[in-house]
Amino acid sequence: MALLKNRDQETLYSSASCAVELTGVSKQYGQKEAVAPLSLSINPGERVAFLGPSGGGKTTLLRLLSGQLETSTGTIMLCHRDLATMPTGHEVSQLVGMIHQQFDLVPNLSALQNALAGQLGEWSLLKSLVSLVWPLNRGIGLSALARVGVEGIAYQRAGSLSGGEQQRVAIARLLVQDPQVILADEPVSSLDPARAGEVLQLLVGIAEEAGKTLIASMHSVELAREHFSRLIGLRNGVVIFDLPSHEVTEDMLHDLYDLYDLYDLQGLRAEA
Amino acid sequence: MTSMTSMTSMTSRDSAQKPKLLESRRVLTLILLAAFIWSLLNLDWTSGFIHSGGIRAMGEFASALFSLDLSIDTLTTAISASWTTVAYAIAGLTLALLIGIPLGAIGSGVLTKSAWVKFSSTGVTRFALAFFRSIHELVWAWLFVAAIGLSPIAAVLALAIPYGGILGRIYAELLQDVPEAPLQSLRSTGASEWRVFWYGRLPMALPDMLSYTFYRLECGIRSAAIMSFVGLGGLGHEVRIALDDPAYPQVWTYLLFLIGLVVIVDVWSTMVRRRLSE
Repeated sequence: MALLKNRDQETLYSSASCAVELTGVSKQYGQKEAVAPLSLSINPGERVAFLGPSGGGKTTLLRLLSGQLETSTGTIMLCHRDLATMPTGHEVSQLVGMIHQQFDLVPNLSALQNALAGQLGEWSLLKSLVSLVWPLNRGIGLSALARVGVEGIAYQRAGSLSGGEQQRVAIARLLVQDPQVILADEPVSSLDPARAGEVLQLLVGIAEEAGKTLIASMHSVELAREHFSRLIGLRNGVVIFDLPSHEVTEDMLHDLYDLYDLYDLQGLRAEA
Repeated sequence: MTSMTSMTSMTSRDSAQKPKLLESRRVLTLILLAAFIWSLLNLDWTSGFIHSGGIRAMGEFASALFSLDLSIDTLTTAISASWTTVAYAIAGLTLALLIGIPLGAIGSGVLTKSAWVKFSSTGVTRFALAFFRSIHELVWAWLFVAAIGLSPIAAVLALAIPYGGILGRIYAELLQDVPEAPLQSLRSTGASEWRVFWYGRLPMALPDMLSYTFYRLECGIRSAAIMSFVGLGGLGHEVRIALDDPAYPQVWTYLLFLIGLVVIVDVWSTMVRRRLSE
């Protein structure tokens, strides 16, 4: 609640942001090592993109950071607090929020209700039940939808919206949730190139405006270079490079994707 | 429906990994087929399949369709009997919802994360649901008529219990089969399983739940008509009296009213479903 009260009414969200610190973090599925022990330090307000072939560990790493998965070894410090010892649910949701490639929304609820779901962790059961029939706190939901440019479809079913609109509503939900760190798992991979650029611009713009830490996994190297200040190449769960965007060379990218999958490689060349 | 598709997708995945399972399934199919053929061979096809006067009676019955009894007397009886049947069906189904929704929600095991609570609560509720629905509504009707006499309450309870069992089981499956991704997103906003249930599971399962409930209402009207054969009033009761006479034109009038009711429910459910999917 404290967070809500402190919110700037104009910009919707608090401008709190915090650092992410990984120390010797690894994740094993049985025999398979999805993420090899790695240490990373991400500064408050930094915008970082994970790159690399499918199965390289990008998504696993994001799920570890969101607390959806437990680490096999190592510790993750979010805002100077150990993620493993934090009670799940409401407290974690104030620190970290996530947007996925697609299927993020409840298709049968309106765009407004989906946006307002960002507050579900704070609401009492009674309040959430009333909101199912008669959405409460409409103001914050509507201004979040307006901020992402889709206020006109507030009362339409989320399932009837286009892919781009759905991702915008998912970003609106993040605005309402107002976490300090935003995780994005291939946030624009399901969209066509034009839409992808717009939506990513929106997500990055909001993170920048509020000074929030943004950590994304990206499929498109071009978009990652354009919108993120720091790129981390992951392959077989190992960090191949970790550099400011402008220092990443074609050779490094070539090595990152090389021989992995012929189609991936061709896709990369076509993009480059 | 949803559970069917998820089942088939599971089988195709499993069969790729376990060819043995596929083989044993084929053997089972063969055994079932053999059992079916064997049962056909064991039927007595020669004597008494249709008794001697049967064909004549069937002819009379069929031709009576073209000489419907549309007298004011019969029509008023048909309308009031239809009303009784619909009232039984709706009261029974309403009570069945009161049984089916909570037991279905608990039986789906989605409200708790604790494995032990999940195991015990789903076990108990699923057993109760199975018990309710494994006894046919007609048998329940006999039991209740024996216990509380020929009262509408007997008819309503007899409908509500097996229907509650069926609805609960289907609801539990529909609630389980909801796509996981949106639920995961809701959890990441800090929502508890209860809120995830209300905001994610229920809205996503609702269209299927509703359309199945409508199908059950249709079944309930037929069942309520049958129920009145045990003397509880309604269309079935009138059909039986007319058959005793036998007054086939009257029988047809009552049957057409029954068909009319089922068609009305069908049209109504189509309209509601169309509105839901808009």
